[in-house]
Amino acid sequence: MRKFFYAEKGLFLQSLHPLAALAFLGTMLVLALAFSHPLYLAGIFLVAGVTVWTAEGLETWESYLKIGLVMMTLIVLINALMVHEGRTILWRGPLIPVFGRITISLEAIYYGLAMGVRLLNVISIFCLFNLIVHPDKIINLFSRFAGKSTLVIALAARMFPVMAQRYENIRAVQQIRGVDFSRGTLKEKVQKSSLLINSLILSSLEDSLEIAESMQARAFGSGPRSRYRRHRWQPRDTLCLAGSAVALGAGLAGLFHGFGAYTFYPQMGCLVDGPGTVAVLLIVLSGLLAPAILNWGWHRCTFLRLKI
Amino acid sequence: MRKIIFPVFLLLIIGLLAAGIRQDNFVARQGWGLLSAEIMFLALILFYWGFEQGKTSSREIALIAVLSAIAAAGRIPFAALPNVQPTTFIVIVSGFVFGPQAGFAVGSTAALVSNFFLGQGPWTPWQMLAWGLAGVSAGLLKIFFPGAGRKWMIGFSFLWGYLYGWIMNIWFWAAFFQPLNWQTFLAAYSASFFLDTLHAAGNALFYAALGNSLIRILRRFQRKLTVEIIP
Repeated sequence: MRKFFYAEKGLFLQSLHPLAALAFLGTMLVLALAFSHPLYLAGIFLVAGVTVWTAEGLETWESYLKIGLVMMTLIVLINALMVHEGRTILWRGPLIPVFGRITISLEAIYYGLAMGVRLLNVISIFCLFNLIVHPDKIINLFSRFAGKSTLVIALAARMFPVMAQRYENIRAVQQIRGVDFSRGTLKEKVQKSSLLINSLILSSLEDSLEIAESMQARAFGSGPRSRYRRHRWQPRDTLCLAGSAVALGAGLAGLFHGFGAYTFYPQMGCLVDGPGTVAVLLIVLSGLLAPAILNWGWHRCTFLRLKI
Repeated sequence: MRKIIFPVFLLLIIGLLAAGIRQDNFVARQGWGLLSAEIMFLALILFYWGFEQGKTSSREIALIAVLSAIAAAGRIPFAALPNVQPTTFIVIVSGFVFGPQAGFAVGSTAALVSNFFLGQGPWTPWQMLAWGLAGVSAGLLKIFFPGAGRKWMIGFSFLWGYLYGWIMNIWFWAAFFQPLNWQTFLAAYSASFFLDTLHAAGNALFYAALGNSLIRILRRFQRKLTVEIIP
Protein backbone atom coordinates (compact mmCIF):
# COMPACT_ATOMS: atom_id res chain seq x y z
CA MET A 1 0.00 0.00 0.00
CA ARG A 2 3.03 2.27 0.25
CA LYS A 3 3.89 2.11 -3.43
CA PHE A 4 2.08 3.00 -6.62
CA PHE A 5 0.31 0.15 -8.37
CA TYR A 6 2.52 1.10 -11.32
CA ALA A 7 5.96 -0.48 -11.17
CA GLU A 8 8.92 1.00 -13.06
CA LYS A 9 10.58 -1.75 -15.05
CA GLY A 10 12.46 0.30 -17.63
CA LEU A 11 10.29 -1.06 -20.43
CA PHE A 12 10.00 0.43 -23.90
CA LEU A 13 6.26 1.01 -23.44
CA GLN A 14 6.93 2.83 -20.17
CA SER A 15 9.21 5.24 -22.03
CA LEU A 16 6.36 6.50 -24.21
CA HIS A 17 5.28 10.12 -23.82
CA PRO A 18 2.15 10.22 -21.61
CA LEU A 19 0.19 11.91 -24.42
CA ALA A 20 1.07 9.11 -26.89
CA ALA A 21 0.22 6.44 -24.30
CA LEU A 22 -3.09 8.14 -23.47
CA ALA A 23 -3.97 8.49 -27.17
CA PHE A 24 -3.28 4.79 -27.72
CA LEU A 25 -5.31 3.66 -24.69
CA GLY A 26 -8.10 6.16 -25.43
CA THR A 27 -8.38 4.91 -29.01
CA MET A 28 -8.63 1.31 -27.81
CA LEU A 29 -11.30 2.31 -25.29
CA VAL A 30 -13.41 4.22 -27.82
CA LEU A 31 -13.19 1.38 -30.36
CA ALA A 32 -14.00 -1.28 -27.72
CA LEU A 33 -17.13 0.67 -26.78
CA ALA A 34 -18.11 1.68 -30.32
CA PHE A 35 -17.91 -1.77 -31.95
CA SER A 36 -20.21 -4.59 -30.95
CA HIS A 37 -19.08 -6.89 -33.79
CA PRO A 38 -17.71 -10.07 -32.12
CA LEU A 39 -14.69 -10.25 -34.48
CA TYR A 40 -13.68 -6.66 -33.70
CA LEU A 41 -14.13 -7.20 -29.96
CA ALA A 42 -12.07 -10.39 -30.10
CA GLY A 43 -9.40 -8.59 -32.19
CA ILE A 44 -9.12 -5.75 -29.67
CA PHE A 45 -8.84 -8.33 -26.88
CA LEU A 46 -5.98 -9.98 -28.78
CA VAL A 47 -4.19 -6.64 -29.24
CA ALA A 48 -4.67 -5.84 -25.54
CA GLY A 49 -3.26 -9.26 -24.62
CA VAL A 50 -0.20 -8.86 -26.85
CA THR A 51 0.47 -5.35 -25.52
CA VAL A 52 0.09 -6.53 -21.89
CA TRP A 53 2.55 -9.31 -22.67
CA THR A 54 5.08 -6.84 -24.10
CA ALA A 55 4.56 -4.71 -20.97
CA GLU A 56 5.48 -7.78 -18.87
CA GLY A 57 2.20 -7.58 -17.01
CA LEU A 58 0.63 -11.00 -17.45
CA GLU A 59 0.31 -11.53 -13.68
CA THR A 60 -1.43 -8.19 -13.18
CA TRP A 61 -3.65 -8.95 -16.17
CA GLU A 62 -4.67 -12.25 -14.59
CA SER A 63 -5.91 -10.51 -11.45
CA TYR A 64 -7.82 -8.00 -13.60
CA LEU A 65 -9.32 -10.77 -15.74
CA LYS A 66 -10.56 -12.55 -12.61
CA ILE A 67 -12.63 -9.48 -11.68
CA GLY A 68 -13.71 -9.21 -15.32
CA LEU A 69 -14.85 -12.84 -15.49
CA VAL A 70 -17.12 -12.43 -12.45
CA MET A 71 -18.76 -9.41 -14.07
CA MET A 72 -18.87 -11.19 -17.43
CA THR A 73 -20.83 -14.08 -15.86
CA LEU A 74 -23.32 -11.55 -14.52
CA ILE A 75 -23.64 -9.91 -17.95
CA VAL A 76 -24.23 -13.23 -19.73
CA LEU A 77 -26.77 -14.35 -17.10
CA ILE A 78 -28.80 -11.12 -17.10
CA ASN A 79 -28.79 -10.88 -20.90
CA ALA A 80 -29.82 -14.52 -21.27
CA LEU A 81 -32.62 -14.35 -18.71
CA MET A 82 -34.01 -10.86 -19.21
CA VAL A 83 -33.80 -10.22 -22.96
CA HIS A 84 -36.53 -11.80 -25.05
CA GLU A 85 -35.62 -10.44 -28.48
CA GLY A 86 -33.93 -13.57 -29.84
CA ARG A 87 -35.70 -15.92 -32.22
CA THR A 88 -33.83 -19.17 -31.52
CA ILE A 89 -35.42 -20.16 -28.22
CA LEU A 90 -33.42 -22.75 -26.29
CA TRP A 91 -35.52 -22.94 -23.16
CA ARG A 92 -38.94 -21.69 -22.11
CA GLY A 93 -39.14 -21.06 -18.38
CA PRO A 94 -41.91 -20.31 -15.92
CA LEU A 95 -43.91 -17.10 -15.71
CA ILE A 96 -42.39 -14.71 -13.15
CA PRO A 97 -44.70 -11.97 -11.83
CA VAL A 98 -42.61 -8.84 -12.48
CA PHE A 99 -40.41 -9.95 -15.37
CA GLY A 100 -42.88 -12.00 -17.43
CA ARG A 101 -42.09 -15.38 -18.99
CA ILE A 102 -38.43 -16.33 -18.80
CA THR A 103 -37.05 -17.48 -22.13
CA ILE A 104 -33.44 -18.16 -22.98
CA SER A 105 -32.47 -17.59 -26.59
CA LEU A 106 -29.24 -18.39 -28.38
CA GLU A 107 -28.98 -14.77 -29.57
CA ALA A 108 -29.20 -13.38 -26.03
CA ILE A 109 -26.43 -15.72 -24.81
CA TYR A 110 -24.31 -14.77 -27.81
CA TYR A 111 -24.86 -11.05 -27.19
CA GLY A 112 -24.02 -11.55 -23.51
CA LEU A 113 -20.78 -13.30 -24.43
CA ALA A 114 -19.82 -10.56 -26.92
CA MET A 115 -20.51 -7.91 -24.27
CA GLY A 116 -18.48 -9.97 -21.80
CA VAL A 117 -15.52 -9.72 -24.18
CA ARG A 118 -16.16 -5.97 -24.43
CA LEU A 119 -15.93 -5.75 -20.64
CA LEU A 120 -12.70 -7.76 -20.62
CA ASN A 121 -11.36 -5.36 -23.28
CA VAL A 122 -12.17 -2.30 -21.19
CA ILE A 123 -10.69 -3.87 -18.06
CA SER A 124 -7.54 -4.89 -19.99
CA ILE A 125 -7.12 -1.34 -21.33
CA PHE A 126 -7.16 0.05 -17.77
CA CYS A 127 -4.79 -2.73 -16.71
CA LEU A 128 -2.43 -1.55 -19.47
CA PHE A 129 -2.78 2.01 -18.21
CA ASN A 130 -1.58 0.83 -14.79
CA LEU A 131 1.32 -1.01 -16.37
CA ILE A 132 2.72 1.63 -18.72
CA VAL A 133 1.78 5.11 -17.49
CA HIS A 134 3.46 6.50 -14.38
CA PRO A 135 0.94 8.53 -12.31
CA ASP A 136 3.43 11.42 -12.06
CA LYS A 137 3.59 11.61 -15.86
CA ILE A 138 -0.19 12.04 -16.07
CA ILE A 139 -0.16 14.67 -13.32
CA ASN A 140 2.66 16.46 -15.15
CA LEU A 141 0.75 16.32 -18.46
CA PHE A 142 -2.41 17.86 -17.03
CA SER A 143 -0.64 20.41 -14.83
CA ARG A 144 -0.56 22.91 -17.68
CA PHE A 145 -4.37 22.90 -18.03
CA ALA A 146 -5.42 22.44 -14.43
CA GLY A 147 -2.72 23.69 -12.07
CA LYS A 148 -4.71 23.65 -8.83
CA SER A 149 -6.43 20.30 -9.35
CA THR A 150 -3.20 18.54 -10.26
CA LEU A 151 -1.48 20.11 -7.25
CA VAL A 152 -4.21 18.72 -5.00
CA ILE A 153 -3.89 15.30 -6.67
CA ALA A 154 -0.09 15.32 -6.41
CA LEU A 155 -0.19 16.35 -2.73
CA ALA A 156 -2.83 13.73 -1.92
CA ALA A 157 -0.85 11.06 -3.80
CA ARG A 158 2.21 11.97 -1.74
CA MET A 159 0.23 11.81 1.49
CA PHE A 160 -1.69 8.61 0.85
CA PRO A 161 1.13 6.29 2.00
CA VAL A 162 1.68 8.51 5.07
CA MET A 163 -2.00 8.32 5.97
CA ALA A 164 -2.11 4.57 5.36
CA GLN A 165 0.89 4.15 7.66
CA ARG A 166 -0.66 6.35 10.36
CA TYR A 167 -3.86 4.41 10.06
CA GLU A 168 -1.98 1.19 10.70
CA ASN A 169 -0.11 2.71 13.65
CA ILE A 170 -3.26 4.01 15.34
CA ARG A 171 -4.91 0.66 14.73
CA ALA A 172 -1.95 -1.18 16.25
CA VAL A 173 -2.06 1.08 19.32
CA GLN A 174 -5.79 0.43 19.73
CA GLN A 175 -5.23 -3.31 19.36
CA ILE A 176 -2.59 -3.28 22.09
CA ARG A 177 -5.12 -1.52 24.29
CA GLY A 178 -7.44 -4.44 23.74
CA VAL A 179 -9.73 -3.29 20.93
CA ASP A 180 -10.59 -6.23 18.67
CA PHE A 181 -11.62 -4.85 15.29
CA SER A 182 -12.85 -8.15 13.91
CA ARG A 183 -15.37 -8.78 16.70
CA GLY A 184 -18.84 -7.46 17.32
CA THR A 185 -21.87 -6.45 15.31
CA LEU A 186 -21.71 -4.12 12.31
CA LYS A 187 -22.53 -1.18 14.58
CA GLU A 188 -19.77 -2.04 17.04
CA LYS A 189 -17.22 -2.55 14.27
CA VAL A 190 -18.07 0.82 12.74
CA GLN A 191 -17.85 2.50 16.16
CA LYS A 192 -14.38 1.03 16.71
CA SER A 193 -13.28 2.18 13.25
CA SER A 194 -14.66 5.65 13.95
CA LEU A 195 -12.12 5.98 16.75
CA LEU A 196 -9.37 5.37 14.20
CA ILE A 197 -10.67 8.00 11.79
CA ASN A 198 -11.14 10.53 14.56
CA SER A 199 -7.54 10.12 15.74
CA LEU A 200 -6.24 10.14 12.16
CA ILE A 201 -8.03 13.37 11.24
CA LEU A 202 -7.08 15.12 14.48
CA SER A 203 -3.42 14.24 14.05
CA SER A 204 -3.30 15.08 10.34
CA LEU A 205 -5.18 18.37 10.04
CA GLU A 206 -2.35 20.36 11.56
CA ASP A 207 -0.07 18.93 8.84
CA SER A 208 -2.06 20.73 6.20
CA LEU A 209 -1.20 24.09 7.77
CA GLU A 210 2.48 23.21 7.63
CA ILE A 211 2.15 22.19 3.99
CA ALA A 212 0.38 25.48 3.25
CA GLU A 213 3.14 27.47 4.94
CA SER A 214 5.73 25.51 3.02
CA MET A 215 3.86 26.27 -0.23
CA GLN A 216 3.68 29.93 0.69
CA ALA A 217 7.41 29.94 1.45
CA ARG A 218 7.99 28.57 -2.05
CA ALA A 219 6.07 31.53 -3.51
CA PHE A 220 2.82 29.69 -4.25
CA GLY A 221 0.25 32.08 -5.70
CA SER A 222 2.69 34.97 -6.06
CA GLY A 223 2.48 35.01 -9.85
CA PRO A 224 1.79 32.82 -12.86
CA ARG A 225 2.60 29.19 -12.25
CA SER A 226 5.84 27.92 -13.75
CA ARG A 227 6.40 24.35 -14.86
CA TYR A 228 8.98 22.26 -16.56
CA ARG A 229 8.71 19.35 -18.93
CA ARG A 230 10.64 16.21 -18.19
CA HIS A 231 9.32 14.11 -21.02
CA ARG A 232 10.68 14.59 -24.50
CA TRP A 233 8.55 13.82 -27.53
CA GLN A 234 10.42 11.13 -29.47
CA PRO A 235 9.89 9.49 -32.88
CA ARG A 236 8.39 6.44 -31.12
CA ASP A 237 5.62 8.69 -29.79
CA THR A 238 4.88 10.03 -33.27
CA LEU A 239 4.67 6.46 -34.61
CA CYS A 240 2.36 5.33 -31.80
CA LEU A 241 0.17 8.38 -32.25
CA ALA A 242 0.03 7.74 -36.01
CA GLY A 243 -0.96 4.10 -35.39
CA SER A 244 -3.74 5.18 -33.02
CA ALA A 245 -4.93 7.86 -35.45
CA VAL A 246 -5.09 5.32 -38.31
CA ALA A 247 -6.99 2.83 -36.12
CA LEU A 248 -9.44 5.44 -34.86
CA GLY A 249 -9.96 6.99 -38.30
CA ALA A 250 -10.47 3.63 -40.02
CA GLY A 251 -12.71 2.36 -37.22
CA LEU A 252 -14.98 5.40 -37.15
CA ALA A 253 -15.10 5.66 -40.97
CA GLY A 254 -15.91 1.93 -41.09
CA LEU A 255 -18.70 2.32 -38.56
CA PHE A 256 -20.11 5.28 -40.45
CA HIS A 257 -20.25 3.24 -43.67
CA GLY A 258 -21.67 0.15 -41.98
CA PHE A 259 -18.51 -2.00 -41.86
CA GLY A 260 -18.08 -3.65 -38.50
CA ALA A 261 -21.76 -3.31 -37.67
CA TYR A 262 -23.42 -6.48 -36.46
CA THR A 263 -26.99 -7.48 -35.73
CA PHE A 264 -27.67 -9.83 -32.84
CA TYR A 265 -31.47 -9.63 -32.77
CA PRO A 266 -33.80 -11.12 -33.79
CA GLN A 267 -31.36 -13.47 -35.48
CA MET A 268 -27.54 -13.46 -35.50
CA GLY A 269 -25.99 -11.88 -38.57
CA CYS A 270 -23.16 -13.29 -40.64
CA LEU A 271 -19.76 -12.73 -38.98
CA VAL A 272 -18.02 -11.79 -42.23
CA ASP A 273 -20.48 -10.04 -44.50
CA GLY A 274 -18.02 -8.75 -47.07
CA PRO A 275 -14.40 -7.81 -47.74
CA GLY A 276 -14.95 -4.31 -46.28
CA THR A 277 -15.48 -5.67 -42.75
CA VAL A 278 -12.24 -7.67 -42.88
CA ALA A 279 -10.26 -4.81 -44.44
CA VAL A 280 -11.36 -2.29 -41.79
CA LEU A 281 -10.68 -4.87 -39.05
CA LEU A 282 -7.14 -5.45 -40.34
CA ILE A 283 -6.38 -1.71 -40.56
CA VAL A 284 -7.74 -1.11 -37.05
CA LEU A 285 -5.78 -3.98 -35.53
CA SER A 286 -2.51 -3.12 -37.28
CA GLY A 287 -2.85 0.51 -36.15
CA LEU A 288 -3.41 -0.62 -32.57
CA LEU A 289 -0.50 -3.04 -32.71
CA ALA A 290 1.95 -0.17 -33.38
CA PRO A 291 3.30 0.02 -29.78
CA ALA A 292 3.78 -3.77 -29.59
CA ILE A 293 5.54 -3.82 -33.00
CA LEU A 294 7.79 -0.91 -32.01
CA ASN A 295 8.60 -2.72 -28.77
CA TRP A 296 9.64 -5.77 -30.81
CA GLY A 297 11.75 -3.58 -33.10
CA TRP A 298 13.35 -1.83 -30.14
CA HIS A 299 14.54 -5.17 -28.77
CA ARG A 300 15.39 -6.96 -32.00
CA CYS A 301 16.40 -4.41 -34.62
CA THR A 302 19.40 -2.17 -33.91
CA PHE A 303 18.53 0.18 -36.75
CA LEU A 304 15.03 0.80 -35.41
CA ARG A 305 16.34 1.14 -31.87
CA LEU A 306 18.66 3.90 -32.98
CA LYS A 307 15.95 5.67 -34.95
CA ILE A 308 13.15 5.65 -32.38
CA MET B 1 -14.78 33.24 -22.88
CA ARG B 2 -14.87 32.08 -19.26
CA LYS B 3 -18.51 32.99 -18.91
CA ILE B 4 -19.66 30.88 -21.85
CA ILE B 5 -17.83 27.66 -20.94
CA PHE B 6 -20.36 26.57 -18.30
CA PRO B 7 -23.49 27.04 -20.45
CA VAL B 8 -21.73 25.51 -23.49
CA PHE B 9 -20.78 22.36 -21.57
CA LEU B 10 -24.23 22.12 -20.02
CA LEU B 11 -25.87 22.48 -23.45
CA LEU B 12 -23.50 19.88 -24.87
CA ILE B 13 -24.45 17.37 -22.15
CA ILE B 14 -28.17 18.04 -22.60
CA GLY B 15 -27.75 17.87 -26.39
CA LEU B 16 -25.98 14.50 -26.20
CA LEU B 17 -28.70 13.16 -23.89
CA ALA B 18 -31.49 14.42 -26.16
CA ALA B 19 -29.81 13.14 -29.35
CA GLY B 20 -29.13 9.79 -27.67
CA ILE B 21 -32.82 9.23 -26.94
CA ARG B 22 -33.75 9.58 -30.63
CA GLN B 23 -32.56 6.56 -32.57
CA ASP B 24 -31.99 8.08 -36.00
CA ASN B 25 -28.73 10.04 -35.70
CA PHE B 26 -25.02 9.34 -35.43
CA VAL B 27 -24.92 10.31 -31.75
CA ALA B 28 -27.37 7.54 -30.86
CA ARG B 29 -25.72 5.05 -33.20
CA GLN B 30 -22.50 5.01 -31.19
CA GLY B 31 -24.38 3.24 -28.39
CA TRP B 32 -25.05 4.20 -24.78
CA GLY B 33 -21.85 2.57 -23.54
CA LEU B 34 -19.75 5.20 -25.29
CA LEU B 35 -22.31 7.97 -24.93
CA SER B 36 -22.66 7.59 -21.15
CA ALA B 37 -18.84 7.64 -20.82
CA GLU B 38 -18.67 10.83 -22.93
CA ILE B 39 -21.31 12.56 -20.80
CA MET B 40 -19.54 11.48 -17.62
CA PHE B 41 -16.19 12.86 -18.85
CA LEU B 42 -17.83 16.16 -19.85
CA ALA B 43 -19.36 16.43 -16.37
CA LEU B 44 -15.98 15.73 -14.75
CA ILE B 45 -14.26 18.35 -16.93
CA LEU B 46 -16.95 20.86 -16.01
CA PHE B 47 -16.50 20.26 -12.28
CA TYR B 48 -12.71 20.50 -12.52
CA TRP B 49 -13.02 23.66 -14.58
CA GLY B 50 -15.22 25.12 -11.83
CA PHE B 51 -12.61 24.23 -9.22
CA GLU B 52 -9.84 25.85 -11.31
CA GLN B 53 -11.85 29.06 -11.63
CA GLY B 54 -12.56 29.42 -7.91
CA LYS B 55 -10.23 31.36 -5.66
CA THR B 56 -8.43 28.77 -3.58
CA SER B 57 -5.74 29.67 -1.08
CA SER B 58 -2.70 27.54 -0.31
CA ARG B 59 -4.27 26.56 3.01
CA GLU B 60 -7.43 25.34 1.32
CA ILE B 61 -5.46 23.36 -1.26
CA ALA B 62 -3.40 21.69 1.45
CA LEU B 63 -6.51 20.96 3.51
CA ILE B 64 -8.36 19.45 0.55
CA ALA B 65 -5.33 17.28 -0.22
CA VAL B 66 -5.09 16.05 3.40
CA LEU B 67 -8.82 15.27 3.58
CA SER B 68 -8.63 13.48 0.20
CA ALA B 69 -5.69 11.41 1.38
CA ILE B 70 -7.55 10.47 4.59
CA ALA B 71 -10.71 9.60 2.62
CA ALA B 72 -8.61 7.58 0.16
CA ALA B 73 -6.80 5.73 2.96
CA GLY B 74 -10.26 4.85 4.31
CA ARG B 75 -10.66 2.55 1.33
CA ILE B 76 -8.06 0.16 2.70
CA PRO B 77 -10.18 -2.62 4.16
CA PHE B 78 -10.00 -2.65 7.94
CA ALA B 79 -13.19 -4.39 8.94
CA ALA B 80 -13.96 -7.80 7.54
CA LEU B 81 -17.00 -6.39 5.79
CA PRO B 82 -17.19 -5.59 2.08
CA ASN B 83 -18.17 -2.07 1.11
CA VAL B 84 -18.25 -0.69 4.67
CA GLN B 85 -15.71 2.12 4.53
CA PRO B 86 -15.56 5.70 5.81
CA THR B 87 -14.68 7.32 2.45
CA THR B 88 -18.20 8.43 1.50
CA PHE B 89 -18.83 9.70 5.02
CA ILE B 90 -15.61 11.77 5.08
CA VAL B 91 -16.44 13.23 1.64
CA ILE B 92 -19.97 14.16 2.75
CA VAL B 93 -18.74 15.85 5.94
CA SER B 94 -16.02 17.73 3.99
CA GLY B 95 -18.58 18.97 1.47
CA PHE B 96 -20.99 19.95 4.25
CA VAL B 97 -18.40 22.06 6.07
CA PHE B 98 -16.28 23.48 3.24
CA GLY B 99 -18.87 23.81 0.45
CA PRO B 100 -19.69 22.12 -2.87
CA GLN B 101 -16.41 22.86 -4.68
CA ALA B 102 -14.21 21.56 -1.90
CA GLY B 103 -16.58 18.60 -1.51
CA PHE B 104 -16.20 17.70 -5.16
CA ALA B 105 -12.43 18.08 -5.01
CA VAL B 106 -12.12 15.85 -1.92
CA GLY B 107 -14.41 13.16 -3.38
CA SER B 108 -12.92 12.95 -6.85
CA THR B 109 -9.32 13.23 -5.64
CA ALA B 110 -9.89 10.47 -3.08
CA ALA B 111 -11.16 8.17 -5.84
CA LEU B 112 -8.33 8.93 -8.27
CA VAL B 113 -5.50 8.86 -5.74
CA SER B 114 -6.62 5.69 -3.97
CA ASN B 115 -6.73 3.95 -7.35
CA PHE B 116 -3.14 5.00 -8.09
CA PHE B 117 -2.30 2.56 -5.28
CA LEU B 118 -5.14 0.02 -5.49
CA GLY B 119 -5.24 -0.15 -9.32
CA GLN B 120 -7.08 1.99 -11.85
CA GLY B 121 -10.01 0.46 -13.69
CA PRO B 122 -13.12 1.43 -15.63
CA TRP B 123 -14.56 2.15 -12.18
CA THR B 124 -12.16 5.08 -11.56
CA PRO B 125 -13.88 7.91 -13.50
CA TRP B 126 -17.30 6.82 -12.24
CA GLN B 127 -16.03 6.74 -8.66
CA MET B 128 -14.58 10.22 -9.20
CA LEU B 129 -17.98 11.42 -10.36
CA ALA B 130 -19.99 9.58 -7.69
CA TRP B 131 -17.86 10.66 -4.71
CA GLY B 132 -17.47 14.12 -6.24
CA LEU B 133 -21.25 14.45 -6.47
CA ALA B 134 -21.63 13.21 -2.88
CA GLY B 135 -19.40 16.12 -1.81
CA VAL B 136 -21.22 18.63 -4.03
CA SER B 137 -24.65 17.55 -2.80
CA ALA B 138 -23.54 17.79 0.85
CA GLY B 139 -22.27 21.31 0.12
CA LEU B 140 -25.58 22.24 -1.50
CA LEU B 141 -27.47 20.72 1.44
CA LYS B 142 -25.57 23.06 3.74
CA ILE B 143 -26.41 26.06 1.52
CA PHE B 144 -30.13 25.32 1.22
CA PHE B 145 -30.72 23.66 4.61
CA PRO B 146 -28.05 25.08 6.92
CA GLY B 147 -29.87 23.73 9.94
CA ALA B 148 -29.88 20.09 8.79
CA GLY B 149 -29.56 18.15 12.01
CA ARG B 150 -28.01 14.84 12.92
CA LYS B 151 -31.01 12.75 11.87
CA TRP B 152 -31.21 14.40 8.47
CA MET B 153 -27.51 13.93 7.90
CA ILE B 154 -27.68 10.25 8.88
CA GLY B 155 -30.50 9.82 6.35
CA PHE B 156 -28.52 11.74 3.74
CA SER B 157 -25.43 9.57 4.29
CA PHE B 158 -27.58 6.43 4.13
CA LEU B 159 -29.13 7.58 0.85
CA TRP B 160 -25.67 8.20 -0.65
CA GLY B 161 -24.79 4.55 -0.09
CA TYR B 162 -27.44 3.68 -2.67
CA LEU B 163 -26.89 6.71 -4.92
CA TYR B 164 -23.19 5.89 -5.15
CA GLY B 165 -23.97 2.32 -6.21
CA TRP B 166 -26.60 3.51 -8.70
CA ILE B 167 -24.19 5.96 -10.33
CA MET B 168 -21.59 3.20 -10.59
CA ASN B 169 -24.22 0.92 -12.17
CA ILE B 170 -25.19 3.37 -14.93
CA TRP B 171 -22.30 2.44 -17.18
CA PHE B 172 -22.53 -1.28 -16.39
CA TRP B 173 -26.15 -1.26 -17.51
CA ALA B 174 -25.72 1.11 -20.47
CA ALA B 175 -22.67 -0.55 -22.02
CA PHE B 176 -23.47 -4.25 -21.76
CA PHE B 177 -27.18 -4.73 -22.18
CA GLN B 178 -29.49 -4.45 -25.13
CA PRO B 179 -32.31 -3.54 -25.30
CA LEU B 180 -32.11 -1.03 -22.48
CA ASN B 181 -35.49 -1.75 -20.89
CA TRP B 182 -36.66 -1.80 -17.30
CA GLN B 183 -36.24 -5.58 -17.03
CA THR B 184 -32.49 -5.45 -17.71
CA PHE B 185 -32.29 -2.26 -15.60
CA LEU B 186 -33.92 -3.91 -12.60
CA ALA B 187 -31.82 -7.05 -12.97
CA ALA B 188 -28.53 -5.12 -13.31
CA TYR B 189 -29.36 -2.84 -10.39
CA SER B 190 -30.65 -5.58 -8.11
CA ALA B 191 -27.34 -7.42 -8.54
CA SER B 192 -25.63 -4.69 -6.50
CA PHE B 193 -28.45 -4.22 -3.98
CA PHE B 194 -26.81 -6.15 -1.14
CA LEU B 195 -23.46 -4.34 -1.46
CA ASP B 196 -25.21 -0.96 -1.76
CA THR B 197 -27.20 -1.70 1.39
CA LEU B 198 -24.00 -2.50 3.30
CA HIS B 199 -22.46 0.74 1.99
CA ALA B 200 -25.53 2.75 3.04
CA ALA B 201 -25.66 1.14 6.49
CA GLY B 202 -21.92 1.78 6.94
CA ASN B 203 -22.33 5.46 6.00
CA ALA B 204 -25.22 5.95 8.41
CA LEU B 205 -23.39 4.20 11.26
CA PHE B 206 -20.22 6.20 10.63
CA TYR B 207 -22.22 9.43 10.71
CA ALA B 208 -24.06 8.36 13.84
CA ALA B 209 -20.81 7.53 15.61
CA LEU B 210 -18.60 10.36 14.43
CA GLY B 211 -20.53 12.85 12.28
CA ASN B 212 -21.24 15.69 14.69
CA SER B 213 -17.84 15.64 16.39
CA LEU B 214 -16.07 15.60 13.01
CA ILE B 215 -18.15 18.55 11.81
CA ARG B 216 -17.15 20.43 14.97
CA ILE B 217 -13.45 19.63 14.40
CA LEU B 218 -13.60 20.75 10.75
CA ARG B 219 -15.56 23.95 11.58
CA ARG B 220 -12.96 24.88 14.16
CA PHE B 221 -10.30 24.30 11.56
CA GLN B 222 -12.25 26.27 8.96
CA ARG B 223 -12.13 29.31 11.24
CA LYS B 224 -8.35 28.99 11.29
CA LEU B 225 -8.27 29.06 7.49
CA THR B 226 -10.07 32.33 7.00
CA VAL B 227 -8.36 35.62 7.60
CA GLU B 228 -10.56 38.58 8.49
CA ILE B 229 -9.17 42.06 8.15
CA ILE B 230 -10.74 44.33 10.74
CA PRO B 231 -10.80 47.93 9.49
